[in-house]
Amino acid sequence: MKNPFRNKTRSALSIIGIAIGLATIVALGLITGGMQESVQTTLNSGGAEITVTEANSQGGFGSSGRLNESFVEILANISGVSSTAGVLSTTVQSSSDSQGRGDGFGSMRGLSVNGIDRGKLSLVGIKNVNGTLFKEDSNEIILGKNAAESQNKTIGDTITIANTEFKITGIFETGNMMSDSGAYTSLKQLQNVTNSDYVNYILVKTIENTNSSSISNNIEKKYPDELSTITAEEQAEMINSAIDILNIASLAISALAIVIGGIGIINTMIMAVYERTKEIGVLKAVGWKSKRILGMILGETLVLTLVSGIVGTIFGIVICEVGMMLLGDSSSFSLAYNLSTFLRAFGVAILVGIIGGIYPAYRASKLAPTEALRYE
Amino acid sequence: MDMKISNDEPFIKISNLVKNYDNGTIKALNGINLEIARGDFISIIGPSGSGKSTLLNMLGALDNPNSGTIQIDGINLEKNQDLSEFRSKKVGFVFQLHNLIPNLTVFENVQIPLIGTGVSENEIEKKAKNLLESVGLKNKLNQKPTKLSGGERQRVAIARALVNNPSIILADEPTGSLDSKTGDVILDMLKKIHDENNVTLIVVTHEPYIANMADRTIKIRDGEIIEDCLNN
Ligand SMILES: Nc1ncnc2c1ncn2[C@@H]1O[C@H](COP(=O)(O)OP(=O)(O)OP(=O)(O)O)[C@@H](O)[C@H]1O
Ligand SMILES: [Mg+2]
Repeated sequence: MKNPFRNKTRSALSIIGIAIGLATIVALGLITGGMQESVQTTLNSGGAEITVTEANSQGGFGSSGRLNESFVEILANISGVSSTAGVLSTTVQSSSDSQGRGDGFGSMRGLSVNGIDRGKLSLVGIKNVNGTLFKEDSNEIILGKNAAESQNKTIGDTITIANTEFKITGIFETGNMMSDSGAYTSLKQLQNVTNSDYVNYILVKTIENTNSSSISNNIEKKYPDELSTITAEEQAEMINSAIDILNIASLAISALAIVIGGIGIINTMIMAVYERTKEIGVLKAVGWKSKRILGMILGETLVLTLVSGIVGTIFGIVICEVGMMLLGDSSSFSLAYNLSTFLRAFGVAILVGIIGGIYPAYRASKLAPTEALRYE
Repeated sequence: MDMKISNDEPFIKISNLVKNYDNGTIKALNGINLEIARGDFISIIGPSGSGKSTLLNMLGALDNPNSGTIQIDGINLEKNQDLSEFRSKKVGFVFQLHNLIPNLTVFENVQIPLIGTGVSENEIEKKAKNLLESVGLKNKLNQKPTKLSGGERQRVAIARALVNNPSIILADEPTGSLDSKTGDVILDMLKKIHDENNVTLIVVTHEPYIANMADRTIKIRDGEIIEDCLNN
């Protein structure tokens, strides 16, 4: 029966109210899911397990600190370490020499250029390159897939770093969104053009089946004043704690949606029951059981909240997709469509329906038939 | 539901029925005693406010008495039992103001009493169609009640009251909102159903000529039976 939509304005208002809450739940779900996936790819990229930075330098990824390059060799000799690579990181603003094909968003962004020994690219998870690798001591550079897209560059184009032109020889894709948004070139060459004799951080790959966190601790113990370490797991944990915060936010919004949506729905359905007092009296007079009337009103409420669920889900997806489009392809992040996100939204919708519907339905089922029939 | 039928028990037996409203300040029924045989056509007549509707509602188990008992077809209409099954299986109501559900079609309105009773959808539709045909509304199946005339609405209400094969039809001023000619059509219809199906028909009215169509007329005033006579 089309009863839930008899009063269109009222139904629409309560649907929109609940849908907004559900849209937020879906949006947060898509975002946290995306973060979770990026954590997974970081952990599974096969790259270095430990990042070594200057002690007391700010920032977990260590691009601000300076390390003597000799540590690359020293750390390689620590037991349990299979290989090490020093990385120098710099950011290039590429807007000035953008080819003008950009959409105005991605092309304005800085590009993170990293210098690393060509033989150590596996430590950042780069296993194969479309095109060719950069040669050591040459002005050649490879770009991550996302970076290439956002910079609007392809093989053969150039990028200017410290007034020196670097030729793009290859495009790589690791699946790690952070890496894929950057560029890699020869460490020596980058040091030359930027006049640096240091590295910002050192990547440490451990021998398979060794405990990377104990090696990480060893390094810190050995060079307490000079080095600071972070393992990939610790990095993942940091992102995970951010995810936790978003999850708590999502939970809070779910709770809010349940309470506010529930109150709205109770109000809507009480009005609906009130308007249909006489009709309910008729149903009782012709022998409908109280339980049936309870089920009818509850069912109508659930129809309303499930419609809210559909509207809210579409809303949430559209908002996130539009947001992603505005951020551009360069964002080191993508949305994750998990079944659990949608189950949660619809779970909340059903819960709101039951919570909001049970009281009006109970009232309807308890109406005395004679009173209901007298109602004008 | 227990349905023992014994010949020495009357079909309907009302004993010392009292119904008060507003905490006893209004005595709508004041000690009614009444026995009705199966298949009788009874009219209840009396001035406005005398308790006719109240009595009919008690018979249809729409309301509970303050004291006294009602037994219909061997079933005691007791306060705490679920009376919806009794209403569903035994009773057909025709109200003064038809009480059709406005946003359902004529066809759907007639089906309502059987929905959820275990009767198959096919069966329900067939029955509803037949009944609407027999009250002359075959061509108005998909009409909304608001588009019908008063007499047509009342005929839909009669079809609805019959769809569950009731053993008792309770009609509360079924012609009250109609002109006398249309009213006669409706009453003839009810009488015909009564004659053909051996249902017990109880009609509340305040029009003496309608009351006289019944086998037996019960007059009430101030919640009490003041006259009980057979017509011929
Ligand atoms: N729900 C109620 N609350 C309070 N008083 C009621 C209620 N229902 C009926 N009454 C009172 O009980 C008395 C009997 O009412 P009832 O409706 O049975 O009269 P009636 O004989 O059907 O009258 P009418 O011919 O006008 O329909 C009246 O005085 C009425 O005001
Ligand atoms: Mg009345």
